[in-house]
Amino acid sequence: MFNTGLTSNDLWLLAQGAGMTLLVTAIAVSLGTILGIIFGVLRYQLGPWWALPLTFVLDVFRSIPLLIQLILANAFVNMILVPTLKIGKVSGFTVACGVLAMYTAAYCSEIVRGGIEAVPANLRRASRSLGMSWGQDMWNIVMPLATRVALPSWIGLALGVMKDSALVYIVQVPELLKNTQILITRLQEPLLLLMICGLFYFLISFPIARFGGYLEKRWSND
Amino acid sequence: MFNYSFRWNQAFASLPQMLEGAWVTIQIALLSMAIGITIAILLTVFRRSGNKLLSGVASTWVEVARNTPALFQIYMVHFGLGGFGIHLSPYLSLLIGIAFNNAGYLAENFRGALKAIPETQTRAARSLGMSQGQAFTNVVMPQMLRISFLPITNQMVWAILMTSLGAVVAMNTDLFGVTKALTDRTFRTFEYFAIAAVIFYVITKVITVSARLLAARLFRY
Amino acid sequence: MKVSIALGGIALAASLATTAQADKLDDIIASGTLRCAVVLDFPPMGSRDASNNPIGFDVDYCSDLAAALGVKPEVVETTFPERIPALMSGSVDVAVASTSDTLERAKTVGFSIPYYAFENAVVASEKSGITDADGMKGKVVGATAGTYEAIWLEEQVKSWGAGEFRPYQNQADVFLALSQGQLDATVSTMEVAQANVKTGNFPGIQIVDKAPMVPDYVALITLREEYGLINFMDLFVNQQVRTGRYAELYKKWVGEGEPASLTIPGVYR
Repeated sequence: MFNTGLTSNDLWLLAQGAGMTLLVTAIAVSLGTILGIIFGVLRYQLGPWWALPLTFVLDVFRSIPLLIQLILANAFVNMILVPTLKIGKVSGFTVACGVLAMYTAAYCSEIVRGGIEAVPANLRRASRSLGMSWGQDMWNIVMPLATRVALPSWIGLALGVMKDSALVYIVQVPELLKNTQILITRLQEPLLLLMICGLFYFLISFPIARFGGYLEKRWSND
Repeated sequence: MFNYSFRWNQAFASLPQMLEGAWVTIQIALLSMAIGITIAILLTVFRRSGNKLLSGVASTWVEVARNTPALFQIYMVHFGLGGFGIHLSPYLSLLIGIAFNNAGYLAENFRGALKAIPETQTRAARSLGMSQGQAFTNVVMPQMLRISFLPITNQMVWAILMTSLGAVVAMNTDLFGVTKALTDRTFRTFEYFAIAAVIFYVITKVITVSARLLAARLFRY
Repeated sequence: MKVSIALGGIALAASLATTAQADKLDDIIASGTLRCAVVLDFPPMGSRDASNNPIGFDVDYCSDLAAALGVKPEVVETTFPERIPALMSGSVDVAVASTSDTLERAKTVGFSIPYYAFENAVVASEKSGITDADGMKGKVVGATAGTYEAIWLEEQVKSWGAGEFRPYQNQADVFLALSQGQLDATVSTMEVAQANVKTGNFPGIQIVDKAPMVPDYVALITLREEYGLINFMDLFVNQQVRTGRYAELYKKWVGEGEPASLTIPGVYR
């Protein structure tokens, strides 16, 4: 098993893949979180009925396998949109980031809404009756309190997105799993290479997950 | 409007095949949940047992399930165990892979739920003459499952979505596998997968809505 | 209002696009680059060398085509199922990717005349006791999803009414499953089978027979309506054989022996 054809060149390829995984995750999570906060606040402000169309659209992203979302988005953009509009090539990277960002936003809006709802209504009435504007109330009262409730779930979400980003190999993004597969094809040592790949995910995910658990424990005690 | 000619008729002609695939998908999800919940309860007991070995096994299981991609887990069930001469069919590999993932996530949920159940209840049950095991099965566990009802529903939805990963272990009878085989042959990716997406959506909606109705009936007080 | 303007814009753009359709052959020559989709997990046709650069029969064939056009070649890696989307999106001009010329595919893309023909081999695990193609009957067999041989093998399993067919996602997984004993046999192109058996990475597998199927003729593909380019590619393939380049590439990538005949007796193409 340790008699391997793996060279330092190949390890570099894996490292590049890992970098791509982290890059895609970072873009998707930041974009998705911004969108998720906007959607979450909107959904809370509009109330369940008026927010129904938005809720429905976001729900679609949570009810269809991510793999199918990626395949469909890629097929739609490349086979239908690009030839129709005669725009240049849209890279798999763009498609992957777009789909993953919406996927993140769908879950994030749920977390944000839960966070806002967890702030006691009386507290908000009190702040408004002290003369705070809606914006001041949101910024100074709701945000700090809602963040405490939402942060552990958000960390879970971000890690979930990182693990799910393994699926973007389907749109030809050279991320960790895709590069692992390139090496598997050449070296024909699937098990060893996959163990390395799995270990990488574990090493990133495990400490952050532990940190999330620690935050949750610490913040729920006071 | 689009510079692409859709061939919906061709795709719709395969609908019966895809629905058969959907049924397989539902079966796998249900079975994986039944296995997952059972194992998650065992893992929870292990983690509370105080036995170093048992709780070590349980913690490793939970951490690996939660910290690596599900795709990796399913692949490893098929080819990892295959390396040791344990040969599982694609169906079983997918089922066990998802069950492994379910068990890890549910065990963590159960741990959270247990925190909400006061320790005094166990003591009260013990003082009524129940054994430790009886106290857990009759007093603690029903409440634990009730508190975890929503997370269990979510996991069920994820189990449905995870069946789409079966293609890596050559699974070709579930909804994703059937759709993939059809598109490999015809190249009509968009049409077939759009239909598959709608079917997946309907399945997950049916699950969440019926879970909500069930919850309303079960926890009426 | 805004929406209707936007839609109008799209419609306008689409109509302009259709009226101003340029010939792809001209476009390629004007752009100075030929972008080829090549599948790189399919040795010896396409693979990577030790520094992970693309090499193989198809890679060289793409370079030859580019040279014939007087432009530079650019290899774009795709998987088997991704070849067509890559073409339709215009991210590649042609696919030099061992594409079997099936009628089903001809509904979507345009084929040149065949530029290569594969013989398929039955590869079995030693434990299975399979010694010829008939021995596969009723056993667990598999192949790479979506390939010509996979489609053939699946039909076989259906006609036997016994046994099981498993479509793995790539060639490496098929041979791994075979060497672990999860599969009893597979059918793959003779070239791929020989290359994989030779690596020694998969103990316990051997080529036992030729698969009793029509040779797998593969062709260059481009968009269905690009007759100018298809015409050029037909002549190019013909010239490759005529000048001996085909035999030369065969020797370089596949090995000694006679390259497969690309004509079918008794019928025109």
